[in-house]
Amino acid sequence: MTSATLDLVSVRQPSEPDEGSGSEGSWAERLAHEAYRQAPEVYIRIDFPEYDNFGRPQFAIDCGCLLLHMSIIWMCVGYSQMTSVSTFSKIFSICYNYFIKPQSGGGRSLQDISKIRNFSIIAHIDHGKSTLADRLLELCHAVDEREKEDRILDNMDLERERGITIKARAVKLNYKAADGEDYILNLIDTPGHVDFNYEVSRSLAACEGALLVVDAAQGIEAQTLANTYLAIDAGLEVLPVINKIDLASADPERTAREIEDIIGIPAEDAPRISAKNGINVESVLEYIVNNIPAPKGDPGAPLKALIFDSQYDSYKGVIVYIRVFDGVLREGDLVRMMATGAEYEVVEVGYLKPLGMEKSGELAPGEVGYFTASIKNVQDTRVGDTVTHVENPTPQALPGYRKVQPMVFSGIYPSDGAKYPDLRDALEKLRLNDASLTFEPENSVALGYGFRCGFLGLLHMEVIQERLEREFNLDLITTAPSVVYKVRYTDGHEEMIDNPLKFPDATVLDSAAEPFVSAKILVPSGYTGNIMELCQERRGIFKDMKYIDTDRVELHYELPLNEIIYDFFDALKSRTRGYASLDYELLDYRESDLVKLDVLLNGEVVDALSFIVHRDKAYARGRKITEKLKENIPRQLFEIPIQAAIGSRIIARETVKALRKDVLAKCYGGDITRKKKLLEKQKEGKKRMRSLGSVDVPQEAFMAVLKLDD
Amino acid sequence: MSKRKERIRIGQGPRIYRKASAEQPEKLPGLYLHIPFCRRKCDYCDFYSVAATDDKARQYTQALIAHLEEAAGIVHSQIETVYIGGGTPAMLGIKNLSLLLGTVRKLFKLAANPEITVELNPESTDKALLKSLKKAGCNRISIGIQSAVDDELKRLGRLHSFEDAKKAFKIAREVGFKNISVDLMYGIEGQTADSLAYSLSEILSLDPEHISCYGLKVEENTPLWRRREKAELPDDDAQAVFYETVCETLGRAGYTHYEISNFAKPGYASRHNLKYWRLEPYLGFGPGAHSDFGSRRFSYVRSVDAYIEGIKNGGEIIDYMEDVPQKERAAEYLMLRLRLSEGFAPSEYMRLFSKNFEPIEAKLREYEEQGLARYDGRWALTTKGFLLSNSIISSLI
Repeated sequence: MTSATLDLVSVRQPSEPDEGSGSEGSWAERLAHEAYRQAPEVYIRIDFPEYDNFGRPQFAIDCGCLLLHMSIIWMCVGYSQMTSVSTFSKIFSICYNYFIKPQSGGGRSLQDISKIRNFSIIAHIDHGKSTLADRLLELCHAVDEREKEDRILDNMDLERERGITIKARAVKLNYKAADGEDYILNLIDTPGHVDFNYEVSRSLAACEGALLVVDAAQGIEAQTLANTYLAIDAGLEVLPVINKIDLASADPERTAREIEDIIGIPAEDAPRISAKNGINVESVLEYIVNNIPAPKGDPGAPLKALIFDSQYDSYKGVIVYIRVFDGVLREGDLVRMMATGAEYEVVEVGYLKPLGMEKSGELAPGEVGYFTASIKNVQDTRVGDTVTHVENPTPQALPGYRKVQPMVFSGIYPSDGAKYPDLRDALEKLRLNDASLTFEPENSVALGYGFRCGFLGLLHMEVIQERLEREFNLDLITTAPSVVYKVRYTDGHEEMIDNPLKFPDATVLDSAAEPFVSAKILVPSGYTGNIMELCQERRGIFKDMKYIDTDRVELHYELPLNEIIYDFFDALKSRTRGYASLDYELLDYRESDLVKLDVLLNGEVVDALSFIVHRDKAYARGRKITEKLKENIPRQLFEIPIQAAIGSRIIARETVKALRKDVLAKCYGGDITRKKKLLEKQKEGKKRMRSLGSVDVPQEAFMAVLKLDD
Repeated sequence: MSKRKERIRIGQGPRIYRKASAEQPEKLPGLYLHIPFCRRKCDYCDFYSVAATDDKARQYTQALIAHLEEAAGIVHSQIETVYIGGGTPAMLGIKNLSLLLGTVRKLFKLAANPEITVELNPESTDKALLKSLKKAGCNRISIGIQSAVDDELKRLGRLHSFEDAKKAFKIAREVGFKNISVDLMYGIEGQTADSLAYSLSEILSLDPEHISCYGLKVEENTPLWRRREKAELPDDDAQAVFYETVCETLGRAGYTHYEISNFAKPGYASRHNLKYWRLEPYLGFGPGAHSDFGSRRFSYVRSVDAYIEGIKNGGEIIDYMEDVPQKERAAEYLMLRLRLSEGFAPSEYMRLFSKNFEPIEAKLREYEEQGLARYDGRWALTTKGFLLSNSIISSLI
């Protein structure tokens, strides 16, 4: 690949376009003409960074770096609203005619399917997945140095900080193997957390093989194991790779034995590498080419393509990431998503590259890429769904699709009530990209207007909350997470309850059931006792215990999900110094002695603090929550009783004593201003608190009761 | 709030000194002269003060006089009170202090029976000083006794013993001062209910006309702030108990609790300080001094040198100036009036500010039920209410 730099062309739109002569269009045409004259093959960026006094966008087109073998139109809008769609489409079509059209024709033959390898990387957090991915990209010259900004596969800040890849991405790599042949390697990244189990399974379904990356110092973790089983179940060729061999504590041989013992796949030939220091990484590429089977597929059969991810783009609409199994997908095709029934005309088809997309016009069997079709909403492009042609559809959708159901619910409220519309907009924007996020308006006496949001799991919940706060600058109060309970009333009808406030009164409640999960915990054997104790406390049912080797144990428990979403991870970490790893999947609903625990401040129930809990745990939780509130509610002019109650029975009580002294004794030589400011500050501070009846409750109090650490 | 800094020349007085306003109808102003010198700064004090030299004291006196002359050209009404505070006014020296008092009497028309106060510290008070103050027209002194327990005085960083204080008080009586105020402090490091009771009885035995009683507040950037973790400071609950003890003891001894922190025998309330609390006009002179005159609040730079320099060369000395909008005046009114046991009459509030009193009244009724406020035609706070006045007032403004 060659690259060169072109003199920057930046032409400002005239501030007063001449009327009537289609001035914007003609201006853009002049600009495009000039750009084309200078660089026939060019990568263009159109920015709409500013608006003039009349609110019209000021266009500026920069023709920047020249990438000879590809042309991308990459558009960014500085602001979300555009004043004139027609102006924009005019510019788009001009650019398209100048830059794209001349190259996209020209009868390309279908990719030789035998030279394609589709694979994922399975690894525990910190075992080096992202680093290995970077190295593979480098070795295939997929990115030049200048653009290599730390980790490419992880696009979101949050993911980077947590070291977790949350949304799957894919990249197409070109690799010239030792046998002299050119191969296409499609790396499909998988989310690394238990919340996204289903997404992982769909990403894996798009591959023929998977690299199992194991840290030579730490060995196999529960999460890795779970995903590895998913891959094996999906019929993938799993290739172990032993990473971090350069660490002093590394024991590659032992790790290899562990892989063989626990997973039962041969590991003696597994490449021993250090992705971080680039040791032996080339061997991984050869290993992939030689051991992962080429995909199979029939270009003549009806189209069958698997959606493994999708992403919303404000210009193109939803970008759907697919793997084609049979048939060929081309631009202009009419397609149908078989599960949702949505039909669209395909606008653009291409490959996924590390820094964007490469138009190809078509995707053949075995290939991984994307298409766009002016789709407004990711709800139509569900992960796991099958894409087929409207004409000549495949009779049989790909197996494994299921509609993801949120498992954890929580109320999200803006701390400033006036920000409610902003919160709604932000949630809607996030949902464009996240089909598993659900929300509906709810209101609380304590917290005002907000939303009941449904999440795949706790991490998903945290990610959404953090994105709302960071990307949309919102200050939030969230209520304690809840699972979905199944309740039966005395009249026999049943209901699913995702909000503690809807939990029926004891008088009409016949029985209640809660979701149980099957949990596997891998833990160094020294901590087994701690973990068994923890699971016991959390109402776990012991199923099984296996020694993986002399000093690692796999514990198998059945646990109520309710207990896991309540700071289980933190407890797990603190009791094993971070060495334990957990994986769980939903098992079934079981009848349980559940009660609703209410919190009363000054005799009044605070709805936002109610939660559902097993009767045996109610006392301890009630005590803890009242203690926490006492710590966080400032003393006020009168004594405030804080009570926890089941129905009308008080089970715990604390008291915030009345404030005794809050006075500015001295009048500083007539400095009234200073005194006034102090009082105004105090008044502002009070405004930031929630007024519940007569009690002022700071936001921290709401947050604190969500984090009742042991 | 319109806070702005203006470049003003001292000779352009009218730009700061404006006519009396609606809330200050024909009230006679008071003058405050700040003497920013101390021999040693007390551990809890965050007032502006510096060490003095003879030369500096002389320059400063001249600057004050120049400033007073200028103001006298604008202030035509009579002056009702004069208060010389600090710092430690005695650090200026007998000559300068007398000169200042003389200048004030010469430049301004004093009302009949004015109140002229000078603040004194026991260690720097002697017969000669008291005599010359008396001669210069001073008719009220305020002695910073603070405590009758020497150990507590030491912990405050004060330079005197209680013996010094008693002596100073007695000399003042001998010299003929009939209106003496003393300061007492509660919440001192190591103070106990017993030691407070002792201080109270010792001070009562001196039989002063007026007692100011302040709770120790740990201000930022003071030596006490820096050692606050280690200091055995009574907590807020203990201070509340102390305060109640003070109120009870002084009430029994015949003192009227006329302001949150001030007690006086009948007829001896501080007329100067009442001006602050009743929104009456006052003019402050000296670095860091505050004024409220003609609806305008302003203060001067907190630096002796900048102040002297500014007065001498007509440079900028305004630190802060604000034309207080009517709405904020209403807040100030509530904030200050509720410090006084006389409180305020709703009718006056409504007349002055043309504001709806109902929401405030509703809150005050709540406080009345809680025993924090009382109403007898005028609204005022109870002793319990005084202790919580910040919370109460901030909910009203």
